[in-house]
Amino acid sequence: MTADESPTTETEERRFETDGGYDTVDYLDEKIHMFKPATPFMKDHLKVIWGLFAVWMLFTFGPVTATWVATDFMTSTQVLGFQLHYFLTAIGSPVGALVLCAAYAWQRDRLDAQYGVDHETEAEAEAEAGKAVAADGGEQA
Amino acid sequence: MIEPVLLESTTGLFDGGFKLIPALTLAAMLALFLGVGWFFRVASVDDMWVAGRSIGSIENGMAIAANWMSVAAYLGVASTVAFLGYFGLAYVVGWTTGYFILLIFLAAQFRRFGKYTAPDFVGDRYYSDLGRAIAATTTLLIAFVYIIAQGNGLGLMAQYIFGVSYEVGVVLLMTITIGYVALSGMLGATKNMTFQYIILISAFLLGLYATGWTQGWSTVLPFIEYGSQSTEIATEIDRQFTEPFQDATYYHWVALCVSLIAGTCGLPHVLVRFYTADNERNARWGTVWGLVFTLLLFLGTTAYAAYGTLLYQENVGEYTEMTGTEADTLVVLTAHLAELPDWLVGIVAAGAVAAGLATTAGLFISASSAAAHDIYTNLYKEDASQREQMIVGRLTILGLGAVVTYLALNPPALIAEVVGMSFALAGTVLFPVFFLGLWWEDATREGAIAGMFVGLFFGFGSIVNEILPQYVSAISGDAIVPAFATVVPATSSSLVGVPAVMLTIIVVSMFTEDPPEDVKRLVRQCHSPKPMKKMDSAEDVATDGATPADD
Repeated sequence: MTADESPTTETEERRFETDGGYDTVDYLDEKIHMFKPATPFMKDHLKVIWGLFAVWMLFTFGPVTATWVATDFMTSTQVLGFQLHYFLTAIGSPVGALVLCAAYAWQRDRLDAQYGVDHETEAEAEAEAGKAVAADGGEQA
Repeated sequence: MIEPVLLESTTGLFDGGFKLIPALTLAAMLALFLGVGWFFRVASVDDMWVAGRSIGSIENGMAIAANWMSVAAYLGVASTVAFLGYFGLAYVVGWTTGYFILLIFLAAQFRRFGKYTAPDFVGDRYYSDLGRAIAATTTLLIAFVYIIAQGNGLGLMAQYIFGVSYEVGVVLLMTITIGYVALSGMLGATKNMTFQYIILISAFLLGLYATGWTQGWSTVLPFIEYGSQSTEIATEIDRQFTEPFQDATYYHWVALCVSLIAGTCGLPHVLVRFYTADNERNARWGTVWGLVFTLLLFLGTTAYAAYGTLLYQENVGEYTEMTGTEADTLVVLTAHLAELPDWLVGIVAAGAVAAGLATTAGLFISASSAAAHDIYTNLYKEDASQREQMIVGRLTILGLGAVVTYLALNPPALIAEVVGMSFALAGTVLFPVFFLGLWWEDATREGAIAGMFVGLFFGFGSIVNEILPQYVSAISGDAIVPAFATVVPATSSSLVGVPAVMLTIIVVSMFTEDPPEDVKRLVRQCHSPKPMKKMDSAEDVATDGATPADD
């Protein structure tokens, strides 16, 4: 967590070329720190992440904690024939996670739209990059 | 918690001898899998590892789910829910809610980083060959522990289908799996995975729906219709079935759940799926679909546990007396006790075999790539040819296969528990390194290496602590150090392990030299909103293809 060193001239030369529009920020020069987002995109993205994460904590550990705290209430109440603690844990948490996943994917789509990110062009770029693919893969081996 | 599993069953499930129709069903499935594998047979090393990365989100979701649906999910979770009651639900919750953490914190960033395997990631992010070697060793250990459980499940199913002994069954099906993996490689396996998912979930749900209908317990949605059966078992037979914290404390429940969640995020063969989607958006929605497909199994598995337990009580005896083996075959046993026809029970059993095959295939690939790529080529022989790597990879598969087959003959714990251990190991050792590596650019090589050693101490140490006494008679008792097993159980080491590892990484990183600038740029590239070309890795974009300085 030391202070960021200013980019060297070497990295300056490697600066990603901008194409105007959403990337007025050079994302390669901004520090990545989970609690100190440096770019507007990261700030918005982390807001979504932490917001949904809080709900996830509740969905995942809420039922078991409630069962621990209020055992009698949770085991004697019934929903759809289930004991409440069993229903919330076995069905509530997993389905809740699914809803949250979809909510995140949807929010990310919204952020992408806001920042003008278009994934459809990836496929086209891919076709051109056919050769690079083999070269890149080869380098891993 | 961990007790040796006695291979006994008094249910008559294994008494029928050789069953022709189930055997033919299984043979047909395997022939199809091998046929598909042959059709997409290995052309080059790259194809073997990442399947050319070109799959849409629903298809990729099915592949994710298929990877997930091992013998542990198919047979093991129903077993723990029936056997351990409310504690067993920690498996259901951990293995489903973990997807969300994977999705929000790691999936896209990992994909952008563009490395196929955990060792590749650690090696490049932490500019260290030692780090790469530790990650590769961990990957091998994870695959090793995980496959033991798969071998156990495969052996039990072979016992039912072929009427052979458990030992012959394990050897037979493990041999088939190894032959299959070595031949088809990942391209075949990927195409198979979608296909296997469909076969597998159909087989699983067929048994569940048929049982629900014939017993008059459920109609169209057994997933939420087993409430009265579940409550009946708990209130009229024995409270154990749903009684909270009877088999384990609140602490142990949460520790297990956290370990399975962290493991979900650290498990190498699941992470690799994010590279096979054709763009980032599809990778995200692929995860959502993956969870949808996984839920069909996990919600079904608790229904199986309730139906199976009730049928056991009616036909065999007190369900509280159920043996480990009976619990581990409960899904098939349920169909059997519901007096469904043999061919139908056979399909359910064949589905379990397919589940084992699909997951074991992915694990063997992870292990062989860790050995060939990361240990042999990176540490031992820099200029190894592709052919040499392929040979090392295949030899690893054979060697690993032989050792795990041997260990599966004497399974150390219930199927889901053994798989839980490998998840805890992945969660404790790899998850913190991934998480901090992607979210904190100042995490250093020294920090990661120290962290992984601490992780291995908790993750692998806890497994050795509980498993060794079962194989070495000189050590008496349930664990070498019982107090350690209470706080850091083998299946649940991450609750203590993850914070310890993270703290180690952070503290060591603060006192060591910052990572080189180009590594920091790699991390930044992982969080940039700009789409990258499908095959680009962060490294290509951030450095125009130059390799990290210390590599």
